[in-house]
Amino acid sequence: MTTPATGGPPTGDLDYVEAEVRRLLAEDPGIGEQGIEVRHRERVLVLRGEVESPGRRREILRTVRNRFPGLALRADISVSATHPPDAPEELP
Amino acid sequence: MSGMVRIAAVGDVHIAEDVAGQFRPGMADLAERADVLLLAGDLTRFGTPDEARLVAAEFGGLPVPVVAVLGNHDYQSDQVPELVSILADAGITVLEGDSTVIDTPAGRLGIAGTKGFGGGFAGRCATAFGEPEMKAFVGASGALADRLGEALRSVECDVRVALTHYAPVPDTLAGEPLEIYPFLGSYLLAQAIDSAPTALAVHGHAHYGSERGMTPGGVLVRNVAHPVIRQAYSLFHLDVPSPVTEELAGAERATG
Repeated sequence: MTTPATGGPPTGDLDYVEAEVRRLLAEDPGIGEQGIEVRHRERVLVLRGEVESPGRRREILRTVRNRFPGLALRADISVSATHPPDAPEELP
Repeated sequence: MSGMVRIAAVGDVHIAEDVAGQFRPGMADLAERADVLLLAGDLTRFGTPDEARLVAAEFGGLPVPVVAVLGNHDYQSDQVPELVSILADAGITVLEGDSTVIDTPAGRLGIAGTKGFGGGFAGRCATAFGEPEMKAFVGASGALADRLGEALRSVECDVRVALTHYAPVPDTLAGEPLEIYPFLGSYLLAQAIDSAPTALAVHGHAHYGSERGMTPGGVLVRNVAHPVIRQAYSLFHLDVPSPVTEELAGAERATG
């Protein structure tokens, strides 16, 4: 197990980082997000999901970066739209 | 009376200060489009009274009745009675093991609701065996589902809808990791829904799930979690069976 040149945890430990980030996002008293998928690809931790505001997305990234400085992070988190539906679904 | 009842529904809006006011503009023409708005739990982010007041401002005073169940987020601060009271003061009906009836031009719409709970799905579910924590988990899920079933069977109406936060079927979880299915819903909810002539079951909670499903008894299920539907609400048109049609169907069943 080697420590990446960029710093942060060794690659083999990313399973535990993944678990800790998932718990952090749900249990941090300022976040409470259970709907973010946390996966690692090689040495990069990938966060994916939808949140209710741009501020929540920033908060998630800031919290993870603070907890794991130096960790390579890639985020694909979008903000859910709130426009009315185009058409109803006619149920059978 | 017969016709079509129009149901607007959304779940998992997770309202806090940063989201306040975002849903209201999308509700501007709700009266022309829907007879009722259903909120499928996780109304707040952390379940605080301040957030409940924001929910009340967002969804209170709408021109159609608003009926809600709570979700797990709404339990986070252990202030459920205060939340329910704040929402009720804003005219939002919060269901937990009970029902409400709304008179619509098409007939009486009966809505029975519960937050529901996890435990998993038929054949792969948790069982009330072993540690007290496990028995409590399974027991809580069963008790909520039992009360939902009673509420659905006893409500007097022309068309029935079940409203839950947790999912009654695995169909609408497609997209979620299989490993977390037991935390997303319980087949006991589907069994309760199937114990009455329910026309539609609406739930939230599964942000990565999919929209459409069906109970083993053939009841349509829709996941309306906001991250799934990606709009202010989903809109469903549901036929209300006419008493004559029902009588004929009954006669056919009797003679068939």
